[in-house]
Amino acid sequence: MISLLAQLGDWGIHGLVRLGRAHLLLLPLLRGLLDILRRPRLLLDQVYSVGVLTILIIGVAGLFVGMVLGLQGYYILSRFGGETALGLMVAASLVRELGPVLTALLFAGRAGSALTAEIGLMKATEQLSGLEMMAVNPEYRVLAPRFFAGLLSVPLLAAMFSCLGVLGGWMVGGGMLGVDQGAFWNGMQNGIDFREDIINGVIKSVVFGFVCTWIAIFQGYDCVPTSEGVSRATTRTVVHSSLAVLGLDFVLTALMFS
Amino acid sequence: MSLAEDIFNEPPLVKIRGLRFRRGSRWIFDGLDVDIPRGSVTAIMGPSGTGKTTLLKLIGGQLRPDEGTIEVDGENVHALSTHDLYRLRMRMGMLFQSGALLTDISVFENVAFPLREHTRLTESMIRKLVLLKLEAVGLRGARDLMPSELSGGMARRVALARAIALDPMMIMYDEPFTGQDPISMGVLVQLIRRLNDAARITSVVVSHDVGETLEIADLVYVISDGRVVESGTPAKLTESGGEWTRQFIHGLADGPVPFHYPAPVLEEDILEAAR
Amino acid sequence: MNKNRKIEVWVGLFMAMGFAALFYLAMQVSNLGTAYTGETFDVTARFDNIGGLKVKAPVTIAGVEVGRVIGISYDPQDFRAVVKMGLQSRYLHKIPDDSFAKILTAGLLGEQYVGLDPGGSETTLGNGSEITVTQSALVLEDVIGQFIFGKGQEGKQ
Repeated sequence: MISLLAQLGDWGIHGLVRLGRAHLLLLPLLRGLLDILRRPRLLLDQVYSVGVLTILIIGVAGLFVGMVLGLQGYYILSRFGGETALGLMVAASLVRELGPVLTALLFAGRAGSALTAEIGLMKATEQLSGLEMMAVNPEYRVLAPRFFAGLLSVPLLAAMFSCLGVLGGWMVGGGMLGVDQGAFWNGMQNGIDFREDIINGVIKSVVFGFVCTWIAIFQGYDCVPTSEGVSRATTRTVVHSSLAVLGLDFVLTALMFS
Repeated sequence: MSLAEDIFNEPPLVKIRGLRFRRGSRWIFDGLDVDIPRGSVTAIMGPSGTGKTTLLKLIGGQLRPDEGTIEVDGENVHALSTHDLYRLRMRMGMLFQSGALLTDISVFENVAFPLREHTRLTESMIRKLVLLKLEAVGLRGARDLMPSELSGGMARRVALARAIALDPMMIMYDEPFTGQDPISMGVLVQLIRRLNDAARITSVVVSHDVGETLEIADLVYVISDGRVVESGTPAKLTESGGEWTRQFIHGLADGPVPFHYPAPVLEEDILEAAR
Repeated sequence: MNKNRKIEVWVGLFMAMGFAALFYLAMQVSNLGTAYTGETFDVTARFDNIGGLKVKAPVTIAGVEVGRVIGISYDPQDFRAVVKMGLQSRYLHKIPDDSFAKILTAGLLGEQYVGLDPGGSETTLGNGSEITVTQSALVLEDVIGQFIFGKGQEGKQ
């Protein structure tokens, strides 16, 4: 019994220590912006590997989520004679919640895990050590560009997700189920406020991008440099990012949409 | 401790005094004193796990000692600011056991990396320098290959070319001969010696490959249990070394380092199991 | 250098697509495309009951949006709700000051808005004017109560 408590305490302390290390990493990450401004090529390469390569999954997911929203929304709304509100329903769900959240979750799974694995492997094969011995700070040179690439990519991906989702909902609602086009778009445009909905959605996705990329980079940088360590770090990235996104989503929604 | 001065009559490039370093509860180094003379090939030898790689990391400032000082070219490594430490590192080259090449760029780009990072030379100058460095290690023709396409020995040679890109005053070799076929080993041995003679680069070789190391070293330190057990020229160690040194150099199975891991008496152990 | 080119092109495309998506969301999906961003003038109206009227609700004449509700407050002196509306300045001095302000509901379950029925007065609404003729929102409980009461009366007869 005592040893269980001791283990729990030990685990708690280790958790706190890691949390502290994660926060300490933020300073060099942000400072690395200066190096990036001098050498934009670093950022460009990372935006490609983190952002461009995620477009496919985001696009397909967005489209299908929008289509499903159109279907399900229609079935429920038609019970109350409210099919004309379908446009507003689909758009509001996407822009306010599903766009930022699902994009962040998919990003964490695809790009976050890739980042963790890449950085972890660089650590395990002593590339990071090698950089240090060549008088190059790996935090500025390797980690910071990846961080800002994620921060930049996630909001753009979320916008694409929401866009395609709206189009998907329109295809299903207008095309398949016969909802009136005018009602669809007008209801949407009247109901979705630029500042309240769109901007808030963008803010959410920026916050999610910050957190997911930060977690991914930290887990890779901090992992045990063995193959088992890298694999565990990758799992942790996906799990922690997902939990963080969902938790933050609640907090942000409460703040923004109350 | 003034062995170096006797032989070479110059202040040593690296001066380690009273080094104590601990990992967890185990003291890796417990009062280590080492002098590395300028322009020499100095070997640090000992069984696996004595912390030889750790020593190189301590010299390079990647790890901090618990006690003691390390001076490189007169500067106390661990008293330097980050900025000065980085400038010192530009004058040190390190060859990692695995080469530690950046896997996402070509051989050429790897060797050019330190030049691009730390100098403002033009592209054409960089190209000439990179090709010359690659020529020195015999891999100029491999310049467009990717690290994944190189054999272990070739990767190390590229890493060596990269390590000399900025013409450092010192190169540290971490187990350069481990796991190499005889030809690659011969190549590396020759390169180390040639670099040392031609460019007067001080070489610190950390290894447990006795044959190769004794072939090229000017000075050897034998380390065990965190201290220097013996030091001297290869000739002196082979002929008149202490018991421990002899076991190590001749690869004897039993001696001061026992064959049997501590265990209870055999008869007792077997009879225990039978019950 | 071919690989570099390819990366540059794709990243450029990515950024363009991202911003295009944001732009599309702003213009086509939200009300930014149709929102009025010009000058407005203030007009107030007092109601006994504003029901579910909210700030930013539209103000319409003949069904066309001419402004938005910009403030709702309660006057403890005359126990009525004071609704401040911002009307588009092209209608300054174009609306008769005896116009009728009603609180209506859009559709069966929709949001509430203010509808103005123009009157016939010569004088018009200017900045800071007050609409005096108002009709409060329809409160569901009152309607049901009236209905039941009415039915009860019928029953007696």
